[in-house]
Amino acid sequence: MTSTAQVAVDPITPVAVDPVTTEIIRCALLQAAEDMNTTLIRSSYTPTIYEAKDCAVALLDRDHHVLGQSSGLPIFLGNLEECTRATEQMYGAGIWRPGDVWVLNDSYIGGTHLNDVTVYAPIFVDAELVGFAASRAHWIDMGSKDPGGSMDSTTIHQEGLRMGPLKIYENGEPCELVHDLISRQVRFPYPTLGDMRAQVACARTGARRLAEIVGRWGLETVLAARDAIFAQTERLERQEISAIPDGVYEATGHLDNDGIDLGTPLHVTVRVTIDGDRMTMDVTDCADQATGPVNCGAAQTVAACRVGYKLLVSGEVPLNGGSFKPLDVLTRPGTMLAAVEPAACQYYYSHLGLVIDLVVEALAPAVPDRAAAASYGDSMIVQFTGTDPRSGKLFVSQEATVGGWGAWETSDGESCLINNVNGSLRDMPVEVLETLFPVRVEEYAIRPDSAGAGRTRGGNGVVRQYRFAADQQLSLWWERSVTPAWGVFGGTAGAAPRVTLNPGRDSERSLLKINALTVREGDVLRCESGGGGGFGPAGERAAEAVAEDVRQGLLTAAHVAAVYGA
Amino acid sequence: MTYRVAMDIGGTFTDVVAYDETRGTFDAAKTPTTPGDLAEGVFSSLGRAVDDPADISFFVHGTTQGLNALLERKGARVLLLASAGLRDVYQIARGNRDRMFDLHYRKPVPLVDRYATAEAGGRFDSRGTELVPLDEDAVRAAARRARDEGVDAVAVALLFSYVNPAHEVRAGEILAEELGDDVMIVLSHQVAREWREYERTSSAVLEAYTGPVVRRYLGRIEDRFAAHGLTVPVQVMLSSGGVVNASFARRHPLQTLLSGPVGGTMGGVAASALLARPNAICVDMGGTSFDVSLVLGGRPNVSNEGAADGFPVLMPLVDLHTIGAGGGSLAYAEAGGLRVGPESAGAVPGPACYGRGGTQATVTDANTVLGRVDPDWFAGGHMTLDTAAAHRAVAELADTLGLDPIELAGGICDVANAKMAQAIRTLTVEHGLEPREFVLLAFGGAGPMHAVEIARELGIEEVVVPRFPGAFSAWGMLGTEVRRDLTLQFFTPGADLDGAAMADALAGLQAEGFEALAEQGVPAARHRIEHAVDMRYEGQDYTLTVPLSGPAEPAAGGFLTSVAERFARLHERRYGHATPEAPVEFVALRTTALGGLPELAAVPYAAAAGEAPEAIVKPVVFGGAAHDTPVLRREHLAPGQHIPGPAVIVEATSTTVVPPDATVTVDDNGFLVIKLGGVA
Repeated sequence: MTSTAQVAVDPITPVAVDPVTTEIIRCALLQAAEDMNTTLIRSSYTPTIYEAKDCAVALLDRDHHVLGQSSGLPIFLGNLEECTRATEQMYGAGIWRPGDVWVLNDSYIGGTHLNDVTVYAPIFVDAELVGFAASRAHWIDMGSKDPGGSMDSTTIHQEGLRMGPLKIYENGEPCELVHDLISRQVRFPYPTLGDMRAQVACARTGARRLAEIVGRWGLETVLAARDAIFAQTERLERQEISAIPDGVYEATGHLDNDGIDLGTPLHVTVRVTIDGDRMTMDVTDCADQATGPVNCGAAQTVAACRVGYKLLVSGEVPLNGGSFKPLDVLTRPGTMLAAVEPAACQYYYSHLGLVIDLVVEALAPAVPDRAAAASYGDSMIVQFTGTDPRSGKLFVSQEATVGGWGAWETSDGESCLINNVNGSLRDMPVEVLETLFPVRVEEYAIRPDSAGAGRTRGGNGVVRQYRFAADQQLSLWWERSVTPAWGVFGGTAGAAPRVTLNPGRDSERSLLKINALTVREGDVLRCESGGGGGFGPAGERAAEAVAEDVRQGLLTAAHVAAVYGA
Repeated sequence: MTYRVAMDIGGTFTDVVAYDETRGTFDAAKTPTTPGDLAEGVFSSLGRAVDDPADISFFVHGTTQGLNALLERKGARVLLLASAGLRDVYQIARGNRDRMFDLHYRKPVPLVDRYATAEAGGRFDSRGTELVPLDEDAVRAAARRARDEGVDAVAVALLFSYVNPAHEVRAGEILAEELGDDVMIVLSHQVAREWREYERTSSAVLEAYTGPVVRRYLGRIEDRFAAHGLTVPVQVMLSSGGVVNASFARRHPLQTLLSGPVGGTMGGVAASALLARPNAICVDMGGTSFDVSLVLGGRPNVSNEGAADGFPVLMPLVDLHTIGAGGGSLAYAEAGGLRVGPESAGAVPGPACYGRGGTQATVTDANTVLGRVDPDWFAGGHMTLDTAAAHRAVAELADTLGLDPIELAGGICDVANAKMAQAIRTLTVEHGLEPREFVLLAFGGAGPMHAVEIARELGIEEVVVPRFPGAFSAWGMLGTEVRRDLTLQFFTPGADLDGAAMADALAGLQAEGFEALAEQGVPAARHRIEHAVDMRYEGQDYTLTVPLSGPAEPAAGGFLTSVAERFARLHERRYGHATPEAPVEFVALRTTALGGLPELAAVPYAAAAGEAPEAIVKPVVFGGAAHDTPVLRREHLAPGQHIPGPAVIVEATSTTVVPPDATVTVDDNGFLVIKLGGVA
């Protein structure tokens, strides 16, 4: 199946528009998206949105092309328009009414898990539809069988409230019945509806800004400027692709398993073809959709491929309807990268991080200066739930874990950095964690020797060791132990992740994925994330650099002797 | 005859503004900064501002010593002492990244490396109960290391010290015993008594890294004053917009970190009072940067935390937003489109018209082509501009884009103005306000040149160019107050609130605040105190600061309901929605002690004596067409005078451009009040 990445831009409208006006309109559209983003981030309730930036906003024209998008979560790149487009396909273009606001979270349309909820509103100027304002944000709980989301769901029906296109505001008034339905389905109605209102405020900001822009310059001029802007972006991207040598480039990697059948790795092959100023990414050669929740809709695979593309091809080029036009993404329905009902989708992103890393690996020989070795790979989720004996209240603590990133031609990779698909998530301060939840952090440290070796080395992973201060349930979603962060150009792989319950005791146990395991007060959980891959042969690393790593305690003398031969 | 003197020491120039207390008049001077010995430079600048330094009754200055040490990485050698198991908290730096499409991301290089971080055992739980006693031997071992390795400062940042500082205090005693006075010892709870160990550690490290430099500098200034027989205390501007004396600043050097540019915002506060316009947007545009700050309800917009060169700091600081736009912003073509900035020609080579080898068109070149700057009297006559080079640079780009050069020059300014206006709009929108509710105050060398067009983009009807726009930061420092901010973590769900305990804690902060004011010589009659509490809905992380009526308010009946209502109103205004029925949490208490300085009794402004020279009339381009435009010298404009646009008003350090449809009035303060749309 060819992706929806290709959208026809209207033929150049006859209205002439000068470069100055075009540039002012371009900046105004970008700023409008930034204002939407500011509104969303500042008014949201939950840290997943305002801190992890687990959200994205876009201002769309009436043909669902992106006029402006702010950089939220990278893997939400350019697929918010799938929601407005799907709504129109289902109900016709006449469905849009002033003052209405819509919601949608169906995984097979939006591509992600049910927690990612898109809120969108049509924008009218003088009774004429001129575009849409849309935002997507992660809601903390959708009423799935386990709080926050399950590690072991096998159909989407276990994953919570699933909404097709649904109106939450009609003619400016809230649809109270729908709000009531949502508030009864989710576990934390106050923050959830708070986040929904933030998304509505965001849509209104976008609508106001676009109306101002159209009001000032007139629709014809704005459309003419739009065409010029899209053409500029497309031209820039085609220039960049033309500079990459033609050829077919390929890389293969594995997810550890689907969380249900722990013994079976799931493979993905990314085949990238460069042909002149066009690029095709073919991910049809991948595992069929899995029993466990590692599936995603095709729209999300397209977005992940676009992230890889953007990392290597068009990092500085702003996003708009001209973006990604030289890129085709091929997926195969029924695979875990183009799942169909009733596939479970809760952990829709583990293989997306993998796809991004594989795109980089595949193209490394073509663009060695822009590439990097692989990173530690996934969010490495640690979740505690239970009742806090100090307050008698239910709690859910969910943390992502930082790790090592890959080296590149001119630098070591970064240590202890959040993974690619997680936006700008910050770790949970120990002081806040221990105040809010019955758990203590005994160690939070760089994991020495976990970095892949090379002329430039990978970054180190992290050690985070918890001691439980009360009985509770533990869930884990740790990945990338089958194909840990590989090196490139002769660099070696980073250490694989490792999670140990009660290390050194009789009850010691290694885990990576687990759903709702009961742990007792005094139990210890040691989490060690992987390092990043190395770049180039280790033997070529400067002796001073190796010595400095030992002095800083980042590598041990024994590791250096074994790997760097020093 | 006595003077109050303020000084803003910048990288290139030092601005001095002196207020003559006898005559009620202001005067300004600009001298080159002497980077080799700033203390000497301060003294020589004083000589330029007043005849006899002994006549100085009040002296305040903004210093960039700490900030420069940070930016140039020339700070002190620091040893960091952390809790056992957690020494890498500072290196991990919360593990986040701020660039989403960068495969080659690196965090800012920490100011203390991993090698220079020691650990000591000892642990409290989140309520401050000791779980493991402090390992004093480990602290002594760290002290020995510090001595052996010759560090200048030790930063101590232990877990939960904001709840129970006992381990930090004891560690500080041991370090002081072992190391004496030569090594600065910084305890994290004294820098920032708030939770979040990385941010608190970062604050403590910044204080240790910049503190010794700031202390040495302040010591030299005080020595210099003493050597000249001056007894006036040296006051220093704080990042929060207040002032403190040097002895206080030596104990809390971090608070001076961003003291220079803050003066501009405080000038905005003073100007907004003179103009009776409580909401003001302060725009400071120079050669390479564009700083925006807000005055809200007559107060500076102060945040409780911020960042310095990528490192978080937990301390109150005036919110300044720097936007990559200035006179040096480059214009260029990309894929057939026009772009302006954020890349800048910087000072070297600078705009083409500087004649220093720059060939690419910049905003200043566009202004030159449009005739909006006087090429023979740029920067107060310090520079002449190469008009031909500006025309060449703009014409070359115009050719690439298929535009007329004059049209392009106007377009470059239009794009730059639009971008600046958009950035400003985002700032006001964050506060739930529309720009048209503000007056625009423009200063800096280039601010008044662009201000009217920026205001037009924003729907603002009034622009004010204050006196001394090129030295406005120094002017602003004269109107500030002594300030001490105190914070105490006070985390509790609303349902569990002990109002009496909160009132007790506030009373303690109040006593501490009054003590700080008294110590700085502020008489009790001029003490003011403000209390507030940081609140949020359960599940939120960001807090809003809700003002309290007094320290005893939390102990009164109905407090929870009343404060929750105020919080909801604030939430509604700031974020556009609220959930009045949702449970709230309290996070921290904040007390600000303010000590007013005697008011300035300035006499109404008068024009310079003597007859104004006849105005030169020259063509200036507005809206694509040349207009005959008078070029006026500001010092000859009299209060009450109306000047219809177009006009260009020049003065020593700035140029004000008035388009044809705007009108200027000189007010009693000597401010240029510009009405847009031809409204007089």
